[in-house]
Amino acid sequence: MSKSRDYILLYINGKKTKIKDDLAFKSLSDFLRYEKQMVGTKIVCSEGDCGSCTVVHGKLENDKLNYKIVNSCIKYMYQLDGTHIITVEGLKLNGCLNPIQESMVKNHGAQCGFCTPGFVVAMTAMFEDKNKLTQKDLKDGLNGNLCRCTGYESIIKSGMDVDASKLTYFDQMYEPQQIIDDLKEIKQIPIFIETSEKKFFSPVDLKSACEFKALNQGLTIISGGTDIGVQINKGMRDPNTIMSTSAIDSLKEISVKDEYLVIGARVTLSQIEAFASELYPAFYDILKWFGSPQIRNSGTLVGNIANGSPIADTTPFLFVMNAQVELSGINGVRQVNINDFYKGYKSLDLNNDEIISKISIPLLKDNQKLKLYKVSKRKDMDISTLTAAFLMDENQGKIESIKIAFGGVGPTVIRLKKTEEFLNGKYLTEENILQAGQIARDEITPISDVRGSKDFRLKLSENIMKKFYFECLEEEQVICQ
Amino acid sequence: MSIIGKNIPHDSAIGHVTGESVFIDDMPFAKNELIVDFVGSPYAHGELISVDTSEAEKIEGIIGLYTYKDLDGINKFGPIIQDEHLLVEHTATFMGEPIVVIAGETRQAIAKAKKAIKIVMKELEPVFTIDEAIKREQYIGVPRFIIRGDVQSVFKTSEHILEGTFINGGQEQFYLESQASIAYPGEDNTLVIHSSTQHPSEIVQVAASILGLQQNQVICITKRMGGGFGGKESQACHFAVMAGLVALKTKRPARAVLNKDTDMMVTGKRHPFQNNYKVAFDKNGMITALKVDLFSNGGAAADLSTSILERAMLHSDSAYYLPNVEINGRVCKTNLPPNTAFRGFGGPQGTLNTENIIEEIAHYLKKDAYEIRRINCYGVNDRNITPYGQIIHNNVLPEIFDELIYSSDYTERLEAVKEFNSVSKTHLKGISLSPVKFGISFTTKFLNQGSALVNIYLDGTVQVSTGGTEMGQGLNTKIRQIVADEFSIDYETVRIMATSTEKNNNTSPTAASSGTDINGSAAVVACQAIRDRLSEFAAQYFSSFENGITKAKEHIVFKDNYIFDNRLPDNKIAFKDFVVLAYRERVSLGERGFYQTPGVDFNRDTGKGNPFLYFTNGAAVSEVLIDKFTGELKVLRSDILIDIGESINVGIDRGQVIGGFIQGMGWVTGEELKYNEKGYLLSHSPTTYKIPNITDVPDIFNVNFFKNDTNIVNVKKSKAVGEPPLLLGISVWTAVKHALSCVSSGKRINLSVPATNEEIIMAIDQFEEIPIKIKVLEY
Repeated sequence: MSKSRDYILLYINGKKTKIKDDLAFKSLSDFLRYEKQMVGTKIVCSEGDCGSCTVVHGKLENDKLNYKIVNSCIKYMYQLDGTHIITVEGLKLNGCLNPIQESMVKNHGAQCGFCTPGFVVAMTAMFEDKNKLTQKDLKDGLNGNLCRCTGYESIIKSGMDVDASKLTYFDQMYEPQQIIDDLKEIKQIPIFIETSEKKFFSPVDLKSACEFKALNQGLTIISGGTDIGVQINKGMRDPNTIMSTSAIDSLKEISVKDEYLVIGARVTLSQIEAFASELYPAFYDILKWFGSPQIRNSGTLVGNIANGSPIADTTPFLFVMNAQVELSGINGVRQVNINDFYKGYKSLDLNNDEIISKISIPLLKDNQKLKLYKVSKRKDMDISTLTAAFLMDENQGKIESIKIAFGGVGPTVIRLKKTEEFLNGKYLTEENILQAGQIARDEITPISDVRGSKDFRLKLSENIMKKFYFECLEEEQVICQ
Repeated sequence: MSIIGKNIPHDSAIGHVTGESVFIDDMPFAKNELIVDFVGSPYAHGELISVDTSEAEKIEGIIGLYTYKDLDGINKFGPIIQDEHLLVEHTATFMGEPIVVIAGETRQAIAKAKKAIKIVMKELEPVFTIDEAIKREQYIGVPRFIIRGDVQSVFKTSEHILEGTFINGGQEQFYLESQASIAYPGEDNTLVIHSSTQHPSEIVQVAASILGLQQNQVICITKRMGGGFGGKESQACHFAVMAGLVALKTKRPARAVLNKDTDMMVTGKRHPFQNNYKVAFDKNGMITALKVDLFSNGGAAADLSTSILERAMLHSDSAYYLPNVEINGRVCKTNLPPNTAFRGFGGPQGTLNTENIIEEIAHYLKKDAYEIRRINCYGVNDRNITPYGQIIHNNVLPEIFDELIYSSDYTERLEAVKEFNSVSKTHLKGISLSPVKFGISFTTKFLNQGSALVNIYLDGTVQVSTGGTEMGQGLNTKIRQIVADEFSIDYETVRIMATSTEKNNNTSPTAASSGTDINGSAAVVACQAIRDRLSEFAAQYFSSFENGITKAKEHIVFKDNYIFDNRLPDNKIAFKDFVVLAYRERVSLGERGFYQTPGVDFNRDTGKGNPFLYFTNGAAVSEVLIDKFTGELKVLRSDILIDIGESINVGIDRGQVIGGFIQGMGWVTGEELKYNEKGYLLSHSPTTYKIPNITDVPDIFNVNFFKNDTNIVNVKKSKAVGEPPLLLGISVWTAVKHALSCVSSGKRINLSVPATNEEIIMAIDQFEEIPIKIKVLEY
């Protein structure tokens, strides 16, 4: 292991901050509120679902600070090395309200005020990319923030009514060069922090990561931490040894190579969006519903895979695409088809020294139709009751081959092999689909839980088949017209 | 120019958008401050055998562990019936009911202590459902009724009769700021409690009673709440008293701030109801008799349940004249946390039940539901007496109906919806109007009083503090406007102070939409008393023999920051200068105003009276789109027309209307409380309990105010706006029911509230099976 350091370096509202020892294991929101008395950032749910704790997270990318919003309640200080955090306290311009704040005041965007800082932070960050926002932009950009008072209408109005001439970018508010220089200087130095109870390691190369993992059984790997952060906050998990992969540059690559989209372990879901919108439009739609902007800015696809949840929104897609999981270990890499990767509920085909380094997804072929579904109580920002993926090779109404994967209907995401077999070679007709629905129903073993009853899931599995059919039919009709 | 009716930003808006507004947990920790938490019952129903805290006591950082034995006063309280314990004595009656209060220096120490406390209990059989409570005759309070005419004789002769059962689920208030209090100990066993509460006086009363203090030893201060919605009317109390207990015992500041999960698990919610109904009507759908039996799930203790049931009964007419009517009501006692106030306070449940009946009649007669609504609507000069005997004066409902139907293009859109449904294989649409006629005033007479303290300082600035509390609804902004208007001074000159029981004693909760009505009226009373004294002095001051101006108070005018005698208006003096003169003449520049709502009275034993000062009216038309296969629901458009009299602040009132509508929409669609078989709440955080998101707001959303300047009985001719718009969200549910009626082939539609995607899919599924099925309630 190369020489390491024992501190986290970050900037908060333009101020350099060094974090050591126990403080490194605090959540950002607790650190801000209880160590710094910066209490504008509110905590409501502690699970990244309400957005009241939203802060701006500036990350060094290609020698620039790239500012995105994240939930500070599920970000731990050890994850924040090399970042510039901007909180609601850091949004005023020379002591005056910024134009977003002005608009929120004027348009009654705040009532009780508890969710307001989160909305103001999120909305301010949206103006980094655009200087005029539409209703749709605001609905897409703010669905990670809950408000119980306003009914949101006045918040939307506030966002649409911002005086663009007064907008100031974060780089204008906070001179970036000094920050960038400071953060770059420490970037290549691994971090190792040890307290009486906890250990944290952030390697800068894959090999060190594998070695550390092999030596520390039961260690927790943090990527975006959007799920583990929740588990820690809710007392379901209290990891003693934590390793972050965020400083390993080789995991940050996303590119199209040899008929595959290759996604490194540290690529966030928001970074995938741009590729998905071109390569797999259906997957792009699912990503939009995956979670809030805050979650997508932190969470990674590989994290979603490693988490192994049967209701992970991305997994059915990867199943039908026969995505390849790349596992890196001390002695090299191996590839596993994702269909063979899960052994049971949250149990993976992964050796002690291995970490998931990449995922490669075959590109869609011309004759292939991809359809993805997510059923949840609320469309946006909700965990699924059922997820489904269909990949069909079709020739003049005949199904040459079809792959179907469902999530939320058993301990793991599953392929519906019998249903597939039944449909292969048949014509896409309502009758065939109805029969296939019956087969699908028999292939799954759902349970009743907070997100839906067993009966509902059984019914849904049939209905999703029908929905698939009718959508295909409608598309055909559009083409014919 | 008057400040009344102006669109002024919220009093705290700048603090809110900068994060500088201070909420309870934002107050800096004192060096010696303690964190307060508690351990509750692991069973929904259980006998407490023993509590052993000896191991927990040894943990470093644990300063105190308290059970009911440590309470120096009476461990029994409740806003109506005193049947609740702060800490369990012998029997726990809901899961999480507090048993041991923990005071610790750090959260880590408290987490360890929670694990180290050994509680031995014998599990008893719990009751969760209304059906089961009825079977066991477990009720809270006495049966209540409101009766007019003779329903039975109409049922005997009526050609058309429908019967059924209707179920609505509960709703979590989901205020963003969870329950929070800090107690500071003072000399002589005094306490200052800062609490996020809608009812500071109740905290004083309950804290004194439980902790063995006199009420004059406790002060409760409420600067603001991060949302309340009724959830902090009676239930902020428990945690404030826990903080008070620790502060008193340790002589250290003590902070009790719940996390969201605990808050949702142990506090009460909107009441689930299960109602039986029987309705008779003629071939046009005109209702001739209605009998409803309302059963609410009150949870483990009375809390406000009997009053909430009463309001549900008083709103079972919705907006319709019922010539023969019998409304019966009972509160069922179960082993859920005591259900409590939530915006609407039973009104939504009573109204919704009747709106479902309207949909049933329409479906049965194959008529448009709006037709049924319109012909049954209360009249202006006749058919305008409620079942409890109150005459509806200045009834604007028929006008609102007609205007909204026209402005929303209801008729054309209804045809388009039908057309769509006959063609689409994948989706369904529905459209519906639902009304609100919400009675304003507490139905408990003595609560209809307000007080306000107004003090003028020698630079002409004014402080006002009322018994009302600010929870985001804009009460403070409106009070400032009212006071500024009374003296005709600049709005900026008036400052609203934190609500404190030291300034206004024995206050009523900020509830029943009455905040501005009673506290604003009290502020007017205070201002007028001061103005009267100032006028007296001004009459003297401006009188002049040379100009022939005699001393005459009635000629004194307060206008645009000046005071003058209107016979010589040029001889004016600035308000800020005049108060100095008045002070030097020893004129009192402070006043406490008191207001009692006139003419309201309701006899709950006979079910007759005038419980309300007036009604706030309105209607909404909503159109929905449903995915037939997934049950996904989208509200495409909503149009609202609401009568809130002459608005004091249109921006704030608009916010109340829209916020209320969306909250009501959440209740009837996505918000579902799910428990396991032990009574453990599974949906205890936003990950599993889904309140409306920004994406759920209808893309087309037209909100308009109905012009009405007749409400002279209330302050500045305004009308209360807090709760009524919540009921407009019901239009989304009736639209779903309408959508399903288009494809049910005449079969009855079994759709409960909330209409989640599961509820919708399972309802569609039932069309092919049993025509009507009374579903077993999942509490």
